[in-house]
Amino acid sequence: MDPALTQALKTGVAPMQEYLLQGSILDGSKDILLHRLRGLCDNADTAPETFSDHEMRVLNNRCSQSMCKHLRYVGQTEMGIGDKSRHTLVRTCLDIGVSDTVVKFLNEMGFRADFEFVARGIFFHKGRMKVTVSKLFKLSQPGDPQAGLEPVSGSHLVELSVVAPTGQEQVGEDMKNFAEQLKPLVCLEKIDHKPFAAAKQGT
Amino acid sequence: MGVVCVYTFPVPEGKSGQQVVDSLQRQLELLGAVKTANFSVDCETYQSNNPTGAAQRILHVLHNSEQPASCFAILDNGTTLVADVLFEVLVAKLTQSKSGKDGYYERRKGLKIESKGPRFELSDFIVKIGSVSMASNFKGILVEVEYCPCAIPGECWELMKEMMQSFMGTVVENPPMAVKNKKDQFYTPSDTVAQYLEHFNNFRKAVVNQSPR
Repeated sequence: MDPALTQALKTGVAPMQEYLLQGSILDGSKDILLHRLRGLCDNADTAPETFSDHEMRVLNNRCSQSMCKHLRYVGQTEMGIGDKSRHTLVRTCLDIGVSDTVVKFLNEMGFRADFEFVARGIFFHKGRMKVTVSKLFKLSQPGDPQAGLEPVSGSHLVELSVVAPTGQEQVGEDMKNFAEQLKPLVCLEKIDHKPFAAAKQGT
Repeated sequence: MGVVCVYTFPVPEGKSGQQVVDSLQRQLELLGAVKTANFSVDCETYQSNNPTGAAQRILHVLHNSEQPASCFAILDNGTTLVADVLFEVLVAKLTQSKSGKDGYYERRKGLKIESKGPRFELSDFIVKIGSVSMASNFKGILVEVEYCPCAIPGECWELMKEMMQSFMGTVVENPPMAVKNKKDQFYTPSDTVAQYLEHFNNFRKAVVNQSPR
């Protein structure tokens, strides 16, 4: 491995850790939330940026295809959901820019597509915190986001995340304080994903 | 990014690799080339662990100092992925064994091979003379020539052939496969890396054929 990369691994710069809080808000109340986020976040005087991501989950990897293809590896949650010392979900993450052949490449490596969806919405940032308010859509035709999209629910998903090097515990505190400011519009909390995975395996 | 051709330069009997590299270097300097830096292209190989008996996959991960922020991942069937260097950390995760179970892929020991040497610039050409080594053993010489202004092989092959023959002689007769297949298309860095992989595989096979019984 490249010496610079080995150094990055030693100092915890790569892989990074993702700190995550999630919540949801009904479509009807989304605009009030966006208004509040515009006030709280950076660049309040410019229009917030929109995004449209086609995400495919491949085994334990997530592959998000937007303007340029991007591969994201997300590890298991650290220390479990019951850990009171952590206000947010913490998991290892690796963000890798890749060429367009990524889906074919992963399939030929032996990975199989698990599920895919399109997320469209708006993102805000405050310092290193990223807030996204997005609507999730199912694809009518697997693999083809242009063919037609159906909304998954009548709500928007709200996510507050920070990607930071390992060992920065202050991040959780900052995120918790920010999340307090969005109550009672939306309750951002750490959500245990294990029951959903177990339910899916049972079906 | 221009069009790149990579050729194996034979080492005659009785001469060492270093002598041949020095002689090529002298010829280039006589032509007016200027040494700018050193270069390196290396290849690490991984093999899939398939307990279910599915087809085995071989994964080659290559780096080229000409594209320092990228790494190239090539499977045995030719599918190529160009990614940033963090892809190697992902491959390291895939090779890690967890909870007593083997990783999905394992690194094939002793197969790491690299080509390293001086890099020269001669007006619109970049020439690299690489000494190939595997586990610190010298295997051969690879010469890479890039013609920078043109990205379509069909339009500059004749010019490149003439330039390469001026210091490499009859070693250069036909274009490499990667260049021939892309005669009228844009040439990309992954084509260069594919050429290197082909040569590296030939050097590795030569080792296997020569190993003592």
